[in-house]
Amino acid sequence: MRLFAGQRAWVVQRISAVLLLALIVLGVLALPFAPPLEFAGWRAFAGGVLGGPLIALLFGALCAHAWVGLRDIVLDYIQPRGLRLAVLSLIAVVLLGVLVRVLLSLAAAALST
Amino acid sequence: MDRYSRRLPVFLNLAQIRFPIGAIASIAHRVSGVLLFIALPVLAVLLDASLRDEAGFASVRGLFSSPLSLVVAGVLAWALVHHVLAGIRHLLMDVGIGGELERARTSARLVLIAAPALAVLLLVWGLS
Amino acid sequence: MRLNIYRFDPERGAPPRMQAYEVQPEAGDKKLLDLLMRLRVQDDSLSFRRSCREGVCGSDAMNINGRNGLACLTALDGLKEPIVLRPLPGFPVIRDLIVDMTQFFAHYHSIRPWLINDEPLPERERLQTPAERERLDGLYECILCACCSAFCPSYWWNPDKFIGPSGLLQAYRFIADSRDTATAERLDFLDDVYRLYRCRTIMNCTEVCPKGLSPSHAIERIRLALLRRSS
Repeated sequence: MRLFAGQRAWVVQRISAVLLLALIVLGVLALPFAPPLEFAGWRAFAGGVLGGPLIALLFGALCAHAWVGLRDIVLDYIQPRGLRLAVLSLIAVVLLGVLVRVLLSLAAAALST
Repeated sequence: MDRYSRRLPVFLNLAQIRFPIGAIASIAHRVSGVLLFIALPVLAVLLDASLRDEAGFASVRGLFSSPLSLVVAGVLAWALVHHVLAGIRHLLMDVGIGGELERARTSARLVLIAAPALAVLLLVWGLS
Repeated sequence: MRLNIYRFDPERGAPPRMQAYEVQPEAGDKKLLDLLMRLRVQDDSLSFRRSCREGVCGSDAMNINGRNGLACLTALDGLKEPIVLRPLPGFPVIRDLIVDMTQFFAHYHSIRPWLINDEPLPERERLQTPAERERLDGLYECILCACCSAFCPSYWWNPDKFIGPSGLLQAYRFIADSRDTATAERLDFLDDVYRLYRCRTIMNCTEVCPKGLSPSHAIERIRLALLRRSS
Protein backbone atom coordinates (compact mmCIF):
# COMPACT_ATOMS: atom_id res chain seq x y z
CA MET A 1 0.00 0.00 0.00
CA ARG A 2 2.04 2.86 -1.32
CA LEU A 3 0.06 5.36 0.75
CA PHE A 4 1.77 3.99 3.83
CA ALA A 5 5.27 3.96 2.37
CA GLY A 6 7.67 4.63 5.16
CA GLN A 7 9.83 7.34 3.72
CA ARG A 8 7.07 9.49 2.28
CA ALA A 9 5.32 9.89 5.62
CA TRP A 10 8.59 10.71 7.36
CA VAL A 11 9.41 13.38 4.76
CA VAL A 12 5.91 14.90 5.02
CA GLN A 13 6.31 15.06 8.78
CA ARG A 14 9.70 16.78 8.52
CA ILE A 15 8.67 19.24 5.80
CA SER A 16 5.44 20.23 7.56
CA ALA A 17 7.47 20.67 10.76
CA VAL A 18 9.90 23.06 9.05
CA LEU A 19 6.98 24.94 7.50
CA LEU A 20 5.24 25.25 10.86
CA LEU A 21 8.47 26.43 12.44
CA ALA A 22 8.83 29.09 9.75
CA LEU A 23 5.24 30.25 10.31
CA ILE A 24 5.78 30.41 14.07
CA VAL A 25 8.95 32.46 13.66
CA LEU A 26 7.12 34.71 11.20
CA GLY A 27 4.30 35.17 13.67
CA VAL A 28 6.64 35.94 16.55
CA LEU A 29 8.57 38.48 14.48
CA ALA A 30 5.41 40.17 13.20
CA LEU A 31 3.86 40.46 16.65
CA PRO A 32 5.43 43.75 17.79
CA PHE A 33 4.21 45.34 14.55
CA ALA A 34 0.67 44.05 14.82
CA PRO A 35 -2.17 46.45 15.69
CA PRO A 36 -4.14 45.83 18.91
CA LEU A 37 -6.43 42.84 18.52
CA GLU A 38 -10.08 43.73 17.79
CA PHE A 39 -12.82 42.14 15.70
CA ALA A 40 -12.86 44.25 12.53
CA GLY A 41 -9.08 44.27 12.11
CA TRP A 42 -8.82 40.55 12.86
CA ARG A 43 -11.51 39.66 10.36
CA ALA A 44 -10.01 41.92 7.70
CA PHE A 45 -6.67 40.19 8.19
CA ALA A 46 -8.08 36.64 8.08
CA GLY A 47 -10.18 37.48 5.05
CA GLY A 48 -7.39 39.31 3.28
CA VAL A 49 -4.98 38.12 0.59
CA LEU A 50 -2.15 37.73 3.10
CA GLY A 51 -3.82 36.47 6.25
CA GLY A 52 -6.23 34.03 4.64
CA PRO A 53 -3.67 31.94 2.75
CA LEU A 54 -1.28 32.09 5.74
CA ILE A 55 -3.86 30.73 8.15
CA ALA A 56 -4.94 28.13 5.61
CA LEU A 57 -1.30 27.09 5.16
CA LEU A 58 -0.86 26.91 8.93
CA PHE A 59 -3.78 24.55 9.38
CA GLY A 60 -2.88 22.56 6.30
CA ALA A 61 0.61 21.94 7.64
CA LEU A 62 -0.81 21.25 11.11
CA CYS A 63 -3.20 18.61 9.80
CA ALA A 64 -0.54 16.91 7.67
CA HIS A 65 1.91 16.90 10.56
CA ALA A 66 -0.71 15.69 13.03
CA TRP A 67 -1.78 12.92 10.66
CA VAL A 68 1.71 11.42 10.41
CA GLY A 69 2.32 11.80 14.15
CA LEU A 70 -0.93 10.21 15.21
CA ARG A 71 -0.68 7.48 12.63
CA ASP A 72 2.70 6.58 14.16
CA ILE A 73 1.07 6.34 17.57
CA VAL A 74 -1.71 4.11 16.26
CA LEU A 75 0.75 1.86 14.39
CA ASP A 76 2.82 1.54 17.57
CA TYR A 77 0.09 0.64 20.01
CA ILE A 78 -2.78 -0.88 18.05
CA GLN A 79 -2.10 -4.25 16.46
CA PRO A 80 -5.53 -5.68 15.50
CA ARG A 81 -6.12 -4.64 11.90
CA GLY A 82 -9.82 -3.80 12.16
CA LEU A 83 -9.46 -1.62 15.24
CA ARG A 84 -6.43 0.07 13.72
CA LEU A 85 -8.31 0.97 10.56
CA ALA A 86 -11.25 2.28 12.58
CA VAL A 87 -9.09 4.53 14.77
CA LEU A 88 -7.09 5.81 11.79
CA SER A 89 -10.30 6.61 9.94
CA LEU A 90 -11.64 8.50 12.94
CA ILE A 91 -8.47 10.57 13.16
CA ALA A 92 -8.57 11.25 9.41
CA VAL A 93 -12.18 12.42 9.68
CA VAL A 94 -11.35 14.76 12.57
CA LEU A 95 -8.40 16.29 10.71
CA LEU A 96 -10.34 16.70 7.48
CA GLY A 97 -13.15 18.25 9.48
CA VAL A 98 -10.75 20.75 11.02
CA LEU A 99 -9.37 21.68 7.62
CA VAL A 100 -12.82 22.08 6.06
CA ARG A 101 -14.06 24.13 9.00
CA VAL A 102 -11.06 26.46 8.83
CA LEU A 103 -11.32 26.93 5.06
CA LEU A 104 -15.03 27.71 5.36
CA SER A 105 -14.39 30.25 8.15
CA LEU A 106 -11.70 31.94 6.10
CA ALA A 107 -13.89 31.98 3.00
CA ALA A 108 -16.74 33.56 4.97
CA ALA A 109 -14.37 36.18 6.36
CA ALA A 110 -13.05 36.90 2.88
CA LEU A 111 -16.56 37.32 1.49
CA SER A 112 -17.59 39.69 4.26
CA THR A 113 -14.81 42.18 3.55
CA MET B 1 8.06 -17.88 16.27
CA ASP B 2 7.63 -21.22 18.02
CA ARG B 3 4.45 -21.85 19.95
CA TYR B 4 6.48 -21.78 23.15
CA SER B 5 6.67 -18.00 23.26
CA ARG B 6 2.94 -17.66 23.60
CA ARG B 7 2.99 -19.23 27.04
CA LEU B 8 6.17 -17.57 28.19
CA PRO B 9 6.15 -14.51 30.43
CA VAL B 10 7.68 -11.21 29.36
CA PHE B 11 9.28 -8.64 31.62
CA LEU B 12 7.91 -5.27 30.57
CA ASN B 13 7.03 -3.42 33.76
CA LEU B 14 7.86 0.16 32.75
CA ALA B 15 8.01 1.25 36.39
CA GLN B 16 10.92 -1.12 36.95
CA ILE B 17 12.92 0.14 34.00
CA ARG B 18 15.28 3.08 34.45
CA PHE B 19 14.72 5.39 31.47
CA PRO B 20 17.42 7.77 30.23
CA ILE B 21 16.68 11.50 30.01
CA GLY B 22 16.24 11.26 26.24
CA ALA B 23 13.41 8.79 26.69
CA ILE B 24 11.63 11.21 29.05
CA ALA B 25 11.94 14.00 26.52
CA SER B 26 10.68 11.63 23.85
CA ILE B 27 7.54 10.45 25.65
CA ALA B 28 6.78 14.06 26.55
CA HIS B 29 7.09 14.86 22.84
CA ARG B 30 4.48 12.21 22.08
CA VAL B 31 2.12 13.24 24.91
CA SER B 32 2.37 16.91 23.97
CA GLY B 33 1.58 15.98 20.38
CA VAL B 34 -1.58 14.15 21.41
CA LEU B 35 -2.68 17.09 23.60
CA LEU B 36 -2.17 19.48 20.68
CA PHE B 37 -4.17 17.16 18.42
CA ILE B 38 -7.05 17.24 20.90
CA ALA B 39 -6.82 21.03 20.95
CA LEU B 40 -6.91 21.28 17.16
CA PRO B 41 -10.68 20.95 16.58
CA VAL B 42 -11.25 23.30 19.52
CA LEU B 43 -8.89 25.78 17.88
CA ALA B 44 -10.79 25.50 14.60
CA VAL B 45 -14.09 26.17 16.38
CA LEU B 46 -12.60 29.16 18.22
CA LEU B 47 -11.23 30.53 14.96
CA ASP B 48 -14.64 30.28 13.38
CA ALA B 49 -16.37 31.95 16.35
CA SER B 50 -13.84 34.78 16.44
CA LEU B 51 -14.45 35.54 12.76
CA ARG B 52 -18.22 35.25 12.82
CA ASP B 53 -19.27 38.47 14.59
CA GLU B 54 -18.35 40.86 17.42
CA ALA B 55 -20.11 38.68 19.97
CA GLY B 56 -18.20 35.61 18.83
CA PHE B 57 -14.90 37.46 18.99
CA ALA B 58 -15.68 38.74 22.48
CA SER B 59 -16.67 35.30 23.75
CA VAL B 60 -13.38 33.80 22.52
CA ARG B 61 -11.52 36.62 24.23
CA GLY B 62 -13.50 36.11 27.44
CA LEU B 63 -12.66 32.42 27.53
CA PHE B 64 -9.42 32.92 29.41
CA SER B 65 -11.01 34.47 32.47
CA SER B 66 -11.95 31.31 34.36
CA PRO B 67 -9.30 29.48 36.44
CA LEU B 68 -10.06 26.21 34.63
CA SER B 69 -9.33 27.71 31.24
CA LEU B 70 -6.11 29.10 32.70
CA VAL B 71 -4.99 25.62 33.68
CA VAL B 72 -5.93 24.27 30.26
CA ALA B 73 -4.15 27.16 28.55
CA GLY B 74 -1.08 26.51 30.72
CA VAL B 75 -0.99 22.82 29.85
CA LEU B 76 -1.44 23.57 26.14
CA ALA B 77 1.25 26.25 26.28
CA TRP B 78 3.66 23.68 27.73
CA ALA B 79 2.56 21.14 25.12
CA LEU B 80 3.21 23.57 22.27
CA VAL B 81 6.57 24.78 23.56
CA HIS B 82 7.86 21.32 24.44
CA HIS B 83 6.69 19.82 21.17
CA VAL B 84 8.33 22.59 19.12
CA LEU B 85 11.62 22.51 21.08
CA ALA B 86 11.82 18.71 21.04
CA GLY B 87 10.92 18.86 17.35
CA ILE B 88 13.79 21.24 16.65
CA ARG B 89 16.08 18.82 18.53
CA HIS B 90 14.90 16.01 16.23
CA LEU B 91 15.33 18.09 13.06
CA LEU B 92 18.88 18.96 14.09
CA MET B 93 19.65 15.29 14.75
CA ASP B 94 18.25 14.47 11.31
CA VAL B 95 20.94 16.61 9.71
CA GLY B 96 23.61 15.17 11.97
CA ILE B 97 23.79 17.82 14.68
CA GLY B 98 23.77 16.66 18.28
CA GLY B 99 23.37 12.94 17.63
CA GLU B 100 26.24 11.90 19.90
CA LEU B 101 25.21 10.52 23.28
CA GLU B 102 26.51 13.29 25.52
CA ARG B 103 25.14 16.07 23.34
CA ALA B 104 21.82 14.29 22.96
CA ARG B 105 21.53 13.99 26.75
CA THR B 106 22.32 17.68 27.18
CA SER B 107 19.83 18.80 24.54
CA ALA B 108 17.13 16.57 26.08
CA ARG B 109 17.72 18.12 29.48
CA LEU B 110 17.66 21.59 27.91
CA VAL B 111 14.33 20.96 26.21
CA LEU B 112 12.74 19.51 29.35
CA ILE B 113 13.78 22.51 31.43
CA ALA B 114 13.20 25.26 28.88
CA ALA B 115 9.71 24.06 27.93
CA PRO B 116 7.84 24.81 31.19
CA ALA B 117 9.84 28.05 31.61
CA LEU B 118 8.97 29.35 28.16
CA ALA B 119 5.41 28.10 28.52
CA VAL B 120 4.93 30.29 31.60
CA LEU B 121 6.27 33.26 29.65
CA LEU B 122 3.95 32.46 26.76
CA LEU B 123 0.97 32.21 29.07
CA VAL B 124 1.77 35.49 30.82
CA TRP B 125 2.22 37.24 27.49
CA GLY B 126 -0.98 35.75 26.10
CA LEU B 127 -3.02 36.95 29.03
CA SER B 128 -1.78 40.50 28.84
CA MET C 1 26.31 -8.19 48.58
CA ARG C 2 22.56 -8.38 48.19
CA LEU C 3 20.73 -9.22 44.99
CA ASN C 4 17.11 -9.52 43.87
CA ILE C 5 16.81 -11.83 40.92
CA TYR C 6 13.88 -12.62 38.61
CA ARG C 7 13.04 -16.32 38.78
CA PHE C 8 10.81 -18.27 36.45
CA ASP C 9 10.56 -22.04 36.12
CA PRO C 10 8.60 -23.12 33.02
CA GLU C 11 8.15 -26.61 34.42
CA ARG C 12 6.65 -25.32 37.65
CA GLY C 13 4.04 -23.17 35.91
CA ALA C 14 3.96 -20.57 38.69
CA PRO C 15 4.18 -16.90 37.70
CA PRO C 16 7.62 -15.24 37.77
CA ARG C 17 8.84 -13.98 41.16
CA MET C 18 11.78 -12.08 42.59
CA GLN C 19 14.19 -13.99 44.83
CA ALA C 20 16.54 -12.33 47.30
CA TYR C 21 20.12 -13.53 47.58
CA GLU C 22 23.10 -12.62 49.70
CA VAL C 23 26.60 -13.54 48.59
CA GLN C 24 30.06 -12.67 49.83
CA PRO C 25 32.36 -11.61 46.98
CA GLU C 26 35.97 -12.83 47.09
CA ALA C 27 39.04 -10.71 46.46
CA GLY C 28 39.20 -11.25 42.69
CA ASP C 29 35.50 -10.62 42.02
CA LYS C 30 35.30 -7.44 39.98
CA LYS C 31 32.27 -7.90 37.71
CA LEU C 32 28.64 -8.87 38.18
CA LEU C 33 29.20 -12.13 36.33
CA ASP C 34 31.79 -13.16 38.94
CA LEU C 35 29.13 -12.68 41.60
CA LEU C 36 26.54 -14.64 39.63
CA MET C 37 28.93 -17.57 39.16
CA ARG C 38 29.57 -17.54 42.90
CA LEU C 39 25.80 -17.50 43.45
CA ARG C 40 25.41 -20.71 41.52
CA VAL C 41 27.44 -22.46 44.21
CA GLN C 42 24.70 -21.44 46.63
CA ASP C 43 21.81 -22.12 44.28
CA ASP C 44 22.54 -24.06 41.11
CA SER C 45 18.95 -23.71 39.88
CA LEU C 46 19.67 -20.08 38.98
CA SER C 47 19.93 -19.96 35.18
CA PHE C 48 21.60 -17.40 32.93
CA ARG C 49 23.61 -17.47 29.74
CA ARG C 50 27.32 -16.72 29.81
CA SER C 51 30.41 -17.67 27.84
CA CYS C 52 33.40 -15.49 27.08
CA ARG C 53 33.25 -13.43 30.32
CA GLU C 54 34.95 -10.55 28.50
CA GLY C 55 32.20 -8.75 26.63
CA VAL C 56 32.53 -10.21 23.14
CA CYS C 57 30.03 -13.04 22.94
CA GLY C 58 26.98 -11.09 24.10
CA SER C 59 25.49 -14.03 26.03
CA ASP C 60 24.99 -12.46 29.45
CA ALA C 61 22.86 -9.48 28.50
CA MET C 62 20.27 -8.68 31.16
CA ASN C 63 18.43 -5.83 32.85
CA ILE C 64 20.66 -4.61 35.71
CA ASN C 65 19.10 -2.11 38.14
CA GLY C 66 16.68 -1.04 35.42
CA ARG C 67 19.15 -0.72 32.54
CA ASN C 68 20.28 -3.33 30.07
CA GLY C 69 23.92 -4.38 30.13
CA LEU C 70 26.37 -7.27 30.05
CA ALA C 71 26.96 -8.94 33.43
CA CYS C 72 30.61 -9.60 32.58
CA LEU C 73 31.30 -5.92 31.85
CA THR C 74 29.29 -4.44 34.73
CA ALA C 75 31.62 -3.52 37.59
CA LEU C 76 30.51 -4.46 41.11
CA ASP C 77 32.14 -1.30 42.41
CA GLY C 78 29.47 1.39 42.51
CA LEU C 79 26.58 -0.95 41.77
CA LYS C 80 23.55 0.00 43.85
CA GLU C 81 22.35 -2.68 46.27
CA PRO C 82 20.25 -4.72 46.31
CA ILE C 83 21.31 -5.47 42.76
CA VAL C 84 18.09 -6.03 40.85
CA LEU C 85 18.46 -8.44 37.94
CA ARG C 86 15.72 -9.07 35.40
CA PRO C 87 15.68 -10.61 31.94
CA LEU C 88 15.90 -8.41 28.84
CA PRO C 89 12.63 -6.44 28.61
CA GLY C 90 10.14 -7.43 25.97
CA PHE C 91 11.69 -10.80 25.16
CA PRO C 92 9.85 -14.05 26.07
CA VAL C 93 11.43 -15.56 29.17
CA ILE C 94 12.47 -19.19 28.82
CA ARG C 95 13.83 -19.55 32.34
CA ASP C 96 15.09 -17.08 34.97
CA LEU C 97 17.35 -14.65 33.07
CA ILE C 98 17.36 -16.62 29.83
CA VAL C 99 15.23 -15.14 27.03
CA ASP C 100 14.06 -16.35 23.64
CA MET C 101 16.23 -14.68 21.01
CA THR C 102 14.48 -16.26 18.00
CA GLN C 103 12.69 -13.10 16.86
CA PHE C 104 15.81 -11.01 17.38
CA PHE C 105 17.92 -13.31 15.19
CA ALA C 106 15.15 -13.54 12.60
CA HIS C 107 15.33 -9.79 12.11
CA TYR C 108 19.10 -10.04 11.80
CA HIS C 109 18.78 -12.67 9.09
CA SER C 110 16.14 -10.66 7.28
CA ILE C 111 18.57 -7.85 6.50
CA ARG C 112 20.92 -10.32 4.77
CA PRO C 113 24.02 -9.88 6.92
CA TRP C 114 26.56 -10.96 4.31
CA LEU C 115 28.45 -9.25 1.52
CA ILE C 116 26.55 -9.28 -1.77
CA ASN C 117 28.76 -8.77 -4.79
CA ASP C 118 28.27 -10.73 -8.01
CA GLU C 119 30.99 -8.94 -9.91
CA PRO C 120 33.84 -11.14 -11.17
CA LEU C 121 36.13 -12.18 -8.34
CA PRO C 122 39.41 -10.26 -8.05
CA GLU C 123 42.71 -12.11 -7.97
CA ARG C 124 43.06 -11.66 -4.22
CA GLU C 125 40.75 -9.40 -2.22
CA ARG C 126 38.19 -6.76 -3.02
CA LEU C 127 40.21 -3.68 -2.13
CA GLN C 128 39.10 -0.82 0.08
CA THR C 129 40.76 2.47 0.81
CA PRO C 130 41.44 3.20 4.49
CA ALA C 131 38.66 5.79 4.34
CA GLU C 132 36.21 3.23 3.00
CA ARG C 133 37.25 0.76 5.71
CA GLU C 134 36.77 3.45 8.35
CA ARG C 135 33.11 3.68 7.44
CA LEU C 136 32.62 0.25 8.96
CA ASP C 137 33.95 1.34 12.35
CA GLY C 138 31.22 1.50 14.93
CA LEU C 139 29.15 -0.99 12.92
CA TYR C 140 31.02 -4.27 12.57
CA GLU C 141 31.70 -4.53 16.30
CA CYS C 142 28.10 -5.46 17.18
CA ILE C 143 28.06 -8.65 19.27
CA LEU C 144 24.30 -9.25 18.92
CA CYS C 145 23.73 -9.10 22.66
CA ALA C 146 20.30 -7.45 22.18
CA CYS C 147 20.78 -4.88 24.95
CA CYS C 148 19.71 -2.20 22.47
CA SER C 149 16.65 -3.81 20.93
CA ALA C 150 15.48 -4.93 24.35
CA PHE C 151 15.61 -1.33 25.56
CA CYS C 152 13.83 0.18 22.57
CA PRO C 153 10.16 1.08 23.22
CA SER C 154 9.37 0.85 19.50
CA TYR C 155 10.75 -2.70 19.51
CA TRP C 156 8.70 -3.55 22.61
CA TRP C 157 5.46 -2.54 20.88
CA ASN C 158 6.19 -4.25 17.55
CA PRO C 159 8.91 -6.88 18.00
CA ASP C 160 7.65 -8.87 15.04
CA LYS C 161 7.54 -6.04 12.52
CA PHE C 162 10.16 -3.48 13.57
CA ILE C 163 13.68 -4.71 12.82
CA GLY C 164 15.11 -2.99 15.89
CA PRO C 165 18.33 -1.07 16.49
CA SER C 166 20.67 -4.06 16.29
CA GLY C 167 19.31 -5.35 12.99
CA LEU C 168 19.24 -1.84 11.54
CA LEU C 169 22.81 -1.14 12.64
CA GLN C 170 23.86 -4.37 10.94
CA ALA C 171 21.87 -3.45 7.86
CA TYR C 172 23.74 -0.18 7.67
CA ARG C 173 27.06 -2.03 8.12
CA PHE C 174 26.46 -3.55 4.71
CA ILE C 175 24.94 -0.46 3.12
CA ALA C 176 28.08 1.44 4.14
CA ASP C 177 30.42 -1.25 2.85
CA SER C 178 31.99 -0.12 -0.42
CA ARG C 179 32.42 -3.75 -1.52
CA ASP C 180 28.68 -4.48 -1.30
CA THR C 181 26.65 -3.91 -4.48
CA ALA C 182 23.16 -4.59 -3.17
CA THR C 183 22.69 -1.15 -1.59
CA ALA C 184 19.57 -0.33 -3.59
CA GLU C 185 17.86 -3.61 -2.68
CA ARG C 186 18.85 -3.26 0.97
CA LEU C 187 17.40 0.25 1.10
CA ASP C 188 14.26 -0.92 -0.71
CA PHE C 189 13.76 -3.60 1.92
CA LEU C 190 14.10 -1.13 4.78
CA ASP C 191 11.83 1.53 3.26
CA ASP C 192 8.78 0.37 5.16
CA VAL C 193 6.56 1.98 7.78
CA TYR C 194 7.36 -0.84 10.20
CA ARG C 195 10.79 -2.24 9.36
CA LEU C 196 12.74 1.02 9.64
CA TYR C 197 10.28 3.78 10.31
CA ARG C 198 9.10 2.72 13.74
CA CYS C 199 12.29 4.37 15.00
CA ARG C 200 11.51 7.62 16.84
CA THR C 201 15.13 8.42 17.70
CA ILE C 202 14.45 7.88 21.38
CA MET C 203 18.13 6.82 21.60
CA ASN C 204 17.64 4.25 24.36
CA CYS C 205 19.71 1.93 22.18
CA THR C 206 22.83 4.06 22.16
CA GLU C 207 22.46 4.65 25.91
CA VAL C 208 22.83 0.94 26.74
CA CYS C 209 25.10 -0.50 24.07
CA PRO C 210 27.89 -2.22 26.04
CA LYS C 211 30.27 -1.85 23.09
CA GLY C 212 29.71 1.91 22.86
CA LEU C 213 28.07 1.70 19.44
CA SER C 214 25.38 4.06 18.22
CA PRO C 215 22.51 2.30 16.46
CA SER C 216 20.60 5.60 16.46
CA HIS C 217 23.39 7.15 14.40
CA ALA C 218 23.37 4.22 11.97
CA ILE C 219 19.60 4.53 11.57
CA GLU C 220 19.95 8.25 10.92
CA ARG C 221 22.42 7.41 8.14
CA ILE C 222 20.01 4.89 6.61
CA ARG C 223 17.30 7.58 6.51
CA LEU C 224 19.70 9.97 4.81
CA ALA C 225 20.73 7.28 2.33
CA LEU C 226 17.05 6.72 1.50
CA LEU C 227 16.55 10.47 1.06
CA ARG C 228 19.58 10.80 -1.18
CA ARG C 229 18.35 7.93 -3.30
CA SER C 230 14.90 9.39 -3.87
CA SER C 231 16.12 12.88 -4.72
